[in-house]
Amino acid sequence: MSQVNDAHIPDWNEVRAALTKAAQERILILDGAMGTMIQREKLTEANFRGERFKDWTLPLQGNNDLLVITEPQIIEDIHYQYFMAGADIAETNTFSATWVAQADYACESAVYDINYQGVIVARRAAKRAEAEDGRRRFVAGALGPTNKTSSMSTDVTSPGFRSITFDQLVDAYGEAIRGLLDGGADLLLFETITDTLNTKAGIFAAQRIFEERGIDVPIMISGTITDLSGRTLSGQTPTAFWYSLRHANPITIGLNCALGANAMRAHLGELSDVADTFICAYPNAGLPNAFGQYDESPEFMAEQIESFAEAGYLNIVGGCCGSTPDHIRAIAQAVAKHKPRVIPEIEKMLRLSGLEPFTLTKDIPFVNIGERTNVTGSARFRKLITAGDYAAALDVARDQVAAGAQVIDINMDEGLIDSKQVMIDFLNLLAAEPDIAKVPLMIDSSKWDVIEAGLKCVQGKALVNSISMKEGEESFLHYARLVRSYGAAVVVMAFDEQGQADTLERKVEICTRAYKLLTEDVGFPPEDIVFDPNVFAVATGIEEHNGYGVAFIEATKIITETLPHVHISGGISNLSFSFRGNEPVREAMHAVFLYYAIQNGMDMGIVNAGQLAVYESIDKELRDACEDVILNRRDDGTDRLLVLAERYRGTAGKEAAAKDLRWREKSVEERIAHALVNGITEFIDADTEEARLKLPRPLHVIEGPLMSGMSIVGDLFGSGKMFLPQVVKSARVMKQAVALLLPYMEAEKNADGNATGRQSAGKVLMATVKGDVHDIGKNIVGVVLSCNNYEIIDLGVMVPTAKILATARELNVDIIGLSGLITPSLDEMVHVAAEMEREGFDIPLLIGGATTSRVHTAVKIHPRYSAGQAVHVNDASRAVGVVGNLLSKDNKVSFIADIRAEYAKAAAAHERAEHDKKRVPLTVARANSFKPDWAGYTPPKPSFLGTKVFDDVDLGDLAKYIDWTPFFQTWELKGRYPAILQDERQGEAARQLFADAQAMLKQIIDEKWFKPLAVVGFWPANAVGDDIRLFKDEGRAEEIATLFTLRQQLSKRDGKPHMALSDFVAPAGTPDYMGAFVVTAGLEEVAIADRFEAANDDYSSILVKALADRFAEAYAEMMHERVRKEYWGYGAEESFAPDELSGEPYRGIRPAPGYPAQPDHTEKTTLFRLLDAEKNAGVTLTESYAMWPGSSVSGVYFSHPEAYYFGVAKVERDQVIDYAQRKNMTLAEVERWLGPILNYIPTAAIVAAE
Amino acid sequence: MSRIEPIAVTLITEPGRLLALDGDTALLRLPANSGHGHEDGGQCIACAMRTDVRALLFDMLEGAKQGLRPAFSKVVVDASAVKDVSVVIAALTGKLPAQALRDHTVARMFYLAGAA
Repeated sequence: MSQVNDAHIPDWNEVRAALTKAAQERILILDGAMGTMIQREKLTEANFRGERFKDWTLPLQGNNDLLVITEPQIIEDIHYQYFMAGADIAETNTFSATWVAQADYACESAVYDINYQGVIVARRAAKRAEAEDGRRRFVAGALGPTNKTSSMSTDVTSPGFRSITFDQLVDAYGEAIRGLLDGGADLLLFETITDTLNTKAGIFAAQRIFEERGIDVPIMISGTITDLSGRTLSGQTPTAFWYSLRHANPITIGLNCALGANAMRAHLGELSDVADTFICAYPNAGLPNAFGQYDESPEFMAEQIESFAEAGYLNIVGGCCGSTPDHIRAIAQAVAKHKPRVIPEIEKMLRLSGLEPFTLTKDIPFVNIGERTNVTGSARFRKLITAGDYAAALDVARDQVAAGAQVIDINMDEGLIDSKQVMIDFLNLLAAEPDIAKVPLMIDSSKWDVIEAGLKCVQGKALVNSISMKEGEESFLHYARLVRSYGAAVVVMAFDEQGQADTLERKVEICTRAYKLLTEDVGFPPEDIVFDPNVFAVATGIEEHNGYGVAFIEATKIITETLPHVHISGGISNLSFSFRGNEPVREAMHAVFLYYAIQNGMDMGIVNAGQLAVYESIDKELRDACEDVILNRRDDGTDRLLVLAERYRGTAGKEAAAKDLRWREKSVEERIAHALVNGITEFIDADTEEARLKLPRPLHVIEGPLMSGMSIVGDLFGSGKMFLPQVVKSARVMKQAVALLLPYMEAEKNADGNATGRQSAGKVLMATVKGDVHDIGKNIVGVVLSCNNYEIIDLGVMVPTAKILATARELNVDIIGLSGLITPSLDEMVHVAAEMEREGFDIPLLIGGATTSRVHTAVKIHPRYSAGQAVHVNDASRAVGVVGNLLSKDNKVSFIADIRAEYAKAAAAHERAEHDKKRVPLTVARANSFKPDWAGYTPPKPSFLGTKVFDDVDLGDLAKYIDWTPFFQTWELKGRYPAILQDERQGEAARQLFADAQAMLKQIIDEKWFKPLAVVGFWPANAVGDDIRLFKDEGRAEEIATLFTLRQQLSKRDGKPHMALSDFVAPAGTPDYMGAFVVTAGLEEVAIADRFEAANDDYSSILVKALADRFAEAYAEMMHERVRKEYWGYGAEESFAPDELSGEPYRGIRPAPGYPAQPDHTEKTTLFRLLDAEKNAGVTLTESYAMWPGSSVSGVYFSHPEAYYFGVAKVERDQVIDYAQRKNMTLAEVERWLGPILNYIPTAAIVAAE
Repeated sequence: MSRIEPIAVTLITEPGRLLALDGDTALLRLPANSGHGHEDGGQCIACAMRTDVRALLFDMLEGAKQGLRPAFSKVVVDASAVKDVSVVIAALTGKLPAQALRDHTVARMFYLAGAA
């Protein structure tokens, strides 16, 4: 090559402007695969060597990047073909041109030249194309991932090992970038990102070079997701990936590679929602799919990509591996008619990431930063680290995340260890633990070199703790720029050249100055700034320390009000330093301090959440003394607290306080509030009576002490400091007190005739819809709302629409709440909504219950009730806020607007997800059914045929089979039993609840409250297609029933079968059997619950229902075990303990109609007929096929060893027509019952034509 | 901390060998090549994963987690179509360099119990 290469150096600001303008006008086109095209050239070793490398000692064939030097014309022509096919942007052929990747060929010395020449040949092609049609072309300098990873080990046996460092990557990318920029690249494109930390190093290198040269080159960033987890190869979700790289301020973010366009769609949708920059996508041309069709043709790929454009995801699009100029041409044509994506406004909020994103949204009042992985904060962690026991140290981190820490603080500042090396080692090990690395990290050190070393190890967006102006502005700016270049957020200490800020004025002044420097000089995003205005010790005996608490709290208020978007954090434990050794007092001081600081804008803190006392539950005397000190309310505050502290020294905090009856000595108002907050009924009658005598009117007792006590409960619940079982207990106290007052209020009314009633916050009508009997969740929501002064009108279960609407009208209610557990109730709710619309209602409609969902409400219910607003509320903790907003004059409009926006988005996302789920025709699904080897298998024979009734089960035996985890879920305590009892946050509530449940359980067993019944049957059976025929006897001549099953139609990968339950039963010729069962905890539950309700004890009423549910499930589990071991006998050798059974380790399944494996509830009719369930077990079916009493379980037994629980998921119309014919039902009828699983919209016209 | 029981992997290297599978055992058939005409690896890491036993095992775990396939406690990997089985063995014994975080997950969750 003797050609002179004159690089044309672009004006990058002009490039950015031109590209931005073009990308706003139309969807721009990126080129396709280079490797695929080079392969077509059938080049030999000689081509790769050319003149320059002819004597190279290693083989060079396959080192495609060299061709820009040795065969430039071939590469130029490929670029030219892409440009002429419609590409606006070409990627240079420099994917592997870093010394890291070129080391395989010993070509490190050619790296700069490859990058330089790569741009030159692409530019020549661009000029030719521009000369031809006058349209501008761009050259993007491609930077591949290198073949090494810096955020994880290549050696799975040594997860802390790294084959390359951040600094080496900065060097490697720096060299490549210099070549690309000297060659005149318009853009830099980091692509096929397999490790986000590698790219962070690349961006760090680019920014250094830009700074050095005084330029700003547009950067494109493209990650890669290749597996089902939907994460990058280094384990990040798309949103976490974006947060990690947003500091690069890229002109595009996007995805490339991946197996075909379809596999990319959902991830692209996610990025499109969160990224406030252009989106660029270039998937691979796909692969042969499971049905032998090829989806790699240009037309097919273009069609899929067009759907991205239709969805509004695209600004720039091209192709990756397997794509050719034909693909690019087809894609360009397909997207030409679509508008480019509009960049969304993204609210300024602190957004961090580990493997998963974390956003500090407004509804998070306070972020607890886990402090147990801090050697200065945890003696245990310090011991583990100094002993080098990293495995146990990682367990500390893991436990902290499992306990709910949203960010964890890593601090290795310990004099006896090499803090920098230990920080590196620990972070590298942590990166291989997905259950820890999912959360963002706070890199905490007083030494900058330790912080910097830490930042070079983390792929996520971390939070640095901390930098300050201690050494002056210059070094502050230097560190701040570096923090920004590493892509982290920052904690800034209120510290300057004169020292730490201790007064209000100094705190505000220093933070204001730092804010200005950061936002104006560095361009630091204000939402990424966290100020620490210094928490100092108070009550030290030194007078000037007395104002430290107030100064912090007031500074917090001013800083958050005057410096937009910033956050406030602090290390709380300093505050109580003078009370070392007196934990009860320290806890109380911290709780009081946080109470005020959070109100004033503090939203983060390094605290041990498990050791925080609840503000309201601190003894008033101690609390007042703490407030005097912290708020500096009186001169003798310190002395008084010191005296008082002696009394608390050594008490074990809350436990001791619970048994402490000193609260009985307080005023009656305070006693009532205490009883409500702590759920104590013991004294409430006497206290209520005392208050009644004290106050002028009985109503004043309700409106005074009772309501103010309940509003404390409401606030504590709303802020996550109390949990559901505790609130329901508080409500029990309230109800008892009100019951005592009611007769006096009635008497008063009769006496003067004009007494005004109690003023409620609003009337809420609640009902479980027609055909459904489940009401635990509804009752809980009712109780919680009534705690917040709403009047609840509860119509109970199985309530017809007409009754709901008539009552609502008659009582003039403000809100209607509907509940339901089984799927047919979803339709019933749609029906209620439509009727409300028709009858002219406009009050809000709340939707809740196990099968309801936000998506269902958004897609099916909300559109039917446009006059009012349907809102999905699935937990009691949200209900109060939602109802409050809906009934608030001020907030209602904006709240409803938010809901509508959210539902529109949910509906769109739903549609997007549905679009992705392709179904196969029923014939294809049937041909691909699950086919066990029947020839080599003899089905086991049950010990009896026909039915058998069981009415003598021992409740104590049954209790051993109870799975407690769902019990806690009923009460909205989330976690697994027994771990939940030790949970840092919910443990106390869970232990109380469990103790109450055990006490009631003992009563249930001792006093035989329930009389559980079961009926089990077995019949000879054979499968015929998707049906299962049941026969009267072994002759198999007289058919007594057919069980109909539904077959999966979702498209499957790798030839996996399309399942139907009938696949587990042998076809005719092999004698097989089926079983069925109904169990119930018994009818007694209803009467017992009613008795508790009548006694104003909702807590026990809900508790007994929840336990009855557990008994029914336990009976199903126990009966299934007896069936396997004895009545069917195929599992005689099984030896699992009862508490192991919930994991279903055994052979055989017992699916229930109405659940995923057979979603058709109407099949229960057959089941109930076969078992004569009404006569044998006293269980009946409602019109929606719910079982009455509610604590009942039914299902069918399959014995085949390969039987498992699967989900039918959505089905197509062809199967529904076929199913309707088989069941001898009309299509409309079947469509009604299968409504939730139809993969199409049934239309009246089609129905009429059937 | 409770640790999850690792999943045993049995490798089949000869064509035609069939093992009786019970309900807990999942079968993974490794393809001979990735389907695209080019060499594996290199620029197309997505194609490369089609032949990578670790990526495929990870997808099986992920599929079970997402309810797309039944859970399993044992796996039979049929590698009889693969040209160079030593690569599969190296991957399953932690000797092949990890390229993704999932490779670490797979190394912890699976172990090569034997070949048939």
